[in-house]
Amino acid sequence: MTESRTLRLQRALGSLVLDGGEAAIEADPGRVARRHGLSGSDQRSFREQVPAMMIYRELARLSLIEPLESMFPVVKALLAGARSWDGCVQAFLDARVVQSSQYRDIAPAFLGWLAATRWGQDRWPFLLELAHAEILETLVARFPDSEPLEGLHAHPGPGDLVVLDPATQVVTYAHAVHRACVEAPVPEARPTHLLAFRDGDGMARLMELTPATAALLVQAQNRPIAEAAVAVNLSDLAPVTKLLYDLRCDGAIAGFRPAP
Amino acid sequence: MAQDRFTGVGIGLRRPHLEQVAEREGHGVPFWETCPENVIGEGGRFHRMACAILDRDPILTHGLAMSVGGFDPWDKQYLHDLSDFILRTGTPWHSEHLCFTSVDGSCLHELLPIPFTREAVRHTITRVRELQSRLPVPLLLENITYYAELGAAEMDEADFISAVLEGADVGWLLDVNNVYVNALNFGFDPKEWLSRMPLDRVAQLHIAGHKRFGDITVDTHGADVIDPVIDLMQWTLSRLGRPVPVLLERDNHIPDFDELLAERTRIQYAYDATLVLTEVRHD
Repeated sequence: MTESRTLRLQRALGSLVLDGGEAAIEADPGRVARRHGLSGSDQRSFREQVPAMMIYRELARLSLIEPLESMFPVVKALLAGARSWDGCVQAFLDARVVQSSQYRDIAPAFLGWLAATRWGQDRWPFLLELAHAEILETLVARFPDSEPLEGLHAHPGPGDLVVLDPATQVVTYAHAVHRACVEAPVPEARPTHLLAFRDGDGMARLMELTPATAALLVQAQNRPIAEAAVAVNLSDLAPVTKLLYDLRCDGAIAGFRPAP
Repeated sequence: MAQDRFTGVGIGLRRPHLEQVAEREGHGVPFWETCPENVIGEGGRFHRMACAILDRDPILTHGLAMSVGGFDPWDKQYLHDLSDFILRTGTPWHSEHLCFTSVDGSCLHELLPIPFTREAVRHTITRVRELQSRLPVPLLLENITYYAELGAAEMDEADFISAVLEGADVGWLLDVNNVYVNALNFGFDPKEWLSRMPLDRVAQLHIAGHKRFGDITVDTHGADVIDPVIDLMQWTLSRLGRPVPVLLERDNHIPDFDELLAERTRIQYAYDATLVLTEVRHD
């Protein structure tokens, strides 16, 4: 398809809104139109409407940045303390990775961009974990509802597999990122295991697990509970099945089914 | 007709009020408007409350981010989910904004103006027809607030909107606050502007608050509706001579539910007063 004037105008406005270099539009208001091969009359239109064009830059960037600031306050505090927050946000905007029209997908897009680019992680090795921990409960809280899983029973037996609720996540971090806060955003380097799940009311809950419990929950999804318990050095099965039953009552586990 | 269920002044259903709306069946709001993007693909407690309301109360659907005037391909999965959602709610129409929101696959999450050019009119008409063919109910387009013309204009906003509505043969969600704000920013008479428009295509009105920042007024949806905007709503209803539904939008500085209900009641009084006068005139 030949590139129409309409498309070039839209690309010019997109650049003006997102590109870091266009912050200095006042110095050369027609530049963004020239960059996109627009004619003199269109360049003049950009030049003559600088304050209004800057409103679009402010509004669109507010829409894209506000969910980052609200979802990642600790990451922001960490990076702002090093005068790196604005640079991080601009690098994220420059990458143009927000493709979903759903507002709630902006923060996960930022997390995905951090994972893909490893931005800042030479200096802050825990940055990705910290961002993940900040968004974890929201992702679990909003995980799409689905039909109840069929063929599961409520009481775990030694030969059963654990079936987690679809919204549940068992996560392991190298740092205690869930303890970090705006006032102290650098987490302690300590292996941390978390269970994030939705309770019966549909609200997200976060539970810190022992390494053995975390390993049990992961392994018992693919091998019988008794076998998984032995593998993680939990020799007494009674407290294991009691814990698994309680987690089912809490909503983290959907139920149990016999291992094939 | 399904449309008959929709009259009076409704409110945009927003997350902070979900619990109270779900619990308070006798809330007195004749209908709600919901953004499908905020419900489709969601889960959990607030989603369940939203679905309970959608299944109980009259609902209109209003999209936020469909890039009607853009060039990016339609998200077919989303359109499929949207159609299911529309059918579930029983909305008699679905509305989107007459703007573009994404370019080259990058979503900007802002309602950006389409150039007021003949080429853009033709392009937008094609896109609107495509979109309409994929929806199970009539599509309405909403006029947006704009702060700058994108490129050298070949026509004014009124001619652009009219050409798209007529060319695509779709209905109009007339946002009277957006007309008012544009009139402030570009220095025209909003009633004169409306007199030029195809008012027979209006199926619904939007009303909201705005705020002035220096020389430019911004459609913030973050304040009470001011009297001149209510006056413009009444003038429009009077010209229409029929009780199209009015939707009160509030997206920022969202007040307590009871405060918002009081705001709705204030606008409902103005709505009712206008319709009484209109009926008297017609009698």
